[in-house]
Amino acid sequence: MPTSLSTRVVLYFYGVVIIFLLYLPLVSVGFASISKARYLSFPIKRYSTKWYGEAVQSSTVSELLTTSLWVAILVTIVSIVIGFFGALAFARYQWRYRTLFQKLILLPIFFPQTVLGLALLMWFNSVGVIPSWKTAVVAHLVWIAPIATLIVSIRAYSFDPALEEAARDMGAGTWTILREVTLPLLMPGLISAGLFAFLLSWGNFPLSLFTTGADSTLPEWLYAKMVSGYSPLVPTLGVMSVVGSFLLILLALTFSWLIRVNRESRTTQKQKIL
Amino acid sequence: MSEKAFLHLKDIVKKFGNFTALDGVDLGIHKGEFFTIVGPSGSGKSTLIRLLVGMDDVTTGEIHLNGKRIDQTPANLRPTCMVFQSLALFPHMSVGQNIEFPLKLRKESPAARRTRALELLDLLRLPQEYYDKRISQCSGGEKQRVALARALAFNPEILFFDEPLSALDYRLRKTLEKELKDLHARTGKTFVYITHSLEEAMVMSDRIAIMKDGCIEQVAVADEIYGKPVSRFVAEFMGEVNLFPISADAKGTLLSDFLLVKNCLEVNVVPPNAQGLLMVRPEYVRFVNDGESYDFNLSGQIHGEYALGSRIQYEIETTAGIITVEKLREDRLNASNGDAVTVGFNSNCTHFICDAI
Repeated sequence: MPTSLSTRVVLYFYGVVIIFLLYLPLVSVGFASISKARYLSFPIKRYSTKWYGEAVQSSTVSELLTTSLWVAILVTIVSIVIGFFGALAFARYQWRYRTLFQKLILLPIFFPQTVLGLALLMWFNSVGVIPSWKTAVVAHLVWIAPIATLIVSIRAYSFDPALEEAARDMGAGTWTILREVTLPLLMPGLISAGLFAFLLSWGNFPLSLFTTGADSTLPEWLYAKMVSGYSPLVPTLGVMSVVGSFLLILLALTFSWLIRVNRESRTTQKQKIL
Repeated sequence: MSEKAFLHLKDIVKKFGNFTALDGVDLGIHKGEFFTIVGPSGSGKSTLIRLLVGMDDVTTGEIHLNGKRIDQTPANLRPTCMVFQSLALFPHMSVGQNIEFPLKLRKESPAARRTRALELLDLLRLPQEYYDKRISQCSGGEKQRVALARALAFNPEILFFDEPLSALDYRLRKTLEKELKDLHARTGKTFVYITHSLEEAMVMSDRIAIMKDGCIEQVAVADEIYGKPVSRFVAEFMGEVNLFPISADAKGTLLSDFLLVKNCLEVNVVPPNAQGLLMVRPEYVRFVNDGESYDFNLSGQIHGEYALGSRIQYEIETTAGIITVEKLREDRLNASNGDAVTVGFNSNCTHFICDAI
């Protein structure tokens, strides 16, 4: 059924308004980051990129980025591993307590993160672990690993179990099946799970706040500076963080696009030889 | 059970918890045979084939292949291969990579693998350009051929088929049935095929086994299964059939309330003191014209007429219930519903199923 003119107008209007409301705050942070003034005020009178220069040179910033990066990278790697095996248990195999597992593994996602952070902090204290960025990795994982599991599970559900059986039937052992069949088929799910894990960890504030101890991640520092002692580096770092995330997504998209193009060109090349 | 059977199943029992899926299956399959296992869904045929290729373990019983016991051998070490219902072609590999998969596992050189894959494409009548096609670019029939080529590349001693044609449309299925039979003849391999379709079984098989509730009901060539079923279940499973409860006294005289029998002692179809069902297939029942004489006669009215393509099916309401009659389209009766007719059949077209009520 063709969409009527009035419906289309309403839809366009709705879309534009929503996107405007979503991105306007980010844009204003962008403007703030290139203001020359020391304090945030609109309208901006003089523009300058000097804060970017300072951010690049600042040792605090590089420390923050290193901490955040380490946390995010470790969370990503562990989430992918847990997500892969978790998804197989979640979607691929039939076992007795599967429905219970499916419910329990999703529970942490719906837990308020502040409560989760507090609970983890108390737990770390009671078992005698001194909080640092390493405990934050564990805290992030409690929340992010279930999400990664869920993302890989969606892929695993559309996976015909007969594929693994067929491979076994033709003589493949367990590791060969994993390498040749299961992993390649779940790869798109693993890539998007990894992407999600990295970005959710990179931007996470409530869990980090409770569990990093003396260390500080980027979102924590941004908050601390907003509360006490505003620095023009805040919007600058904010923009850098957003741009970094955006570049990562772009990188992942390019990567998957390259794989596809490479596959297709290989196919056509061989066809030419024939 | 012949001792020289190539694949020999001895008293196979498979239980899932309290449920008995297979209840003592004995079967012998010969080398080079096209053997089909037919049964309705839930009869245990899929369970049986999974045990044979090693995807499930037998609860009790033995499987011997070529004299060697294989029921404890894991699936990846058995010299058997299966074409799955879903075909299980790897979507992330090209047609060529799919066919070469079993060869790659055997560490054959890329050149040898390619040569063999192209040979198999030829054998399955697929153009060589298909070597580099993606699985998603193939049609249903082409996928079937790729799955077959892959299974043949494995070079199994026995090739199993788990209803691979069931998802295809009628015309394509008919074509592939014949191709499969032809392929069987050309390769000389042992094919074991399971299906719920009697037609598929009849077209392709050397021998057929009928399964019901986890047991084998009958094993025989297609004609015998069709013409001489051992039970009511087999008779009804193998297509339209008319069954009459019948018995004979100690002298062999037929005792029947409704069948008009010409001469009870001459018509020697039921052994003395036996009771059971008298079977006659619809195509052997005739409309009786004046002056004609049959061993068994029944009168009634036409109840319905159905066109089955090349044949016409009539349902005749008689004192013995509804009788099904089939005639060729060219012999179509010039009559309408409610017309009185007499139908008859001769004893040499009947089969007696003992005790099968």
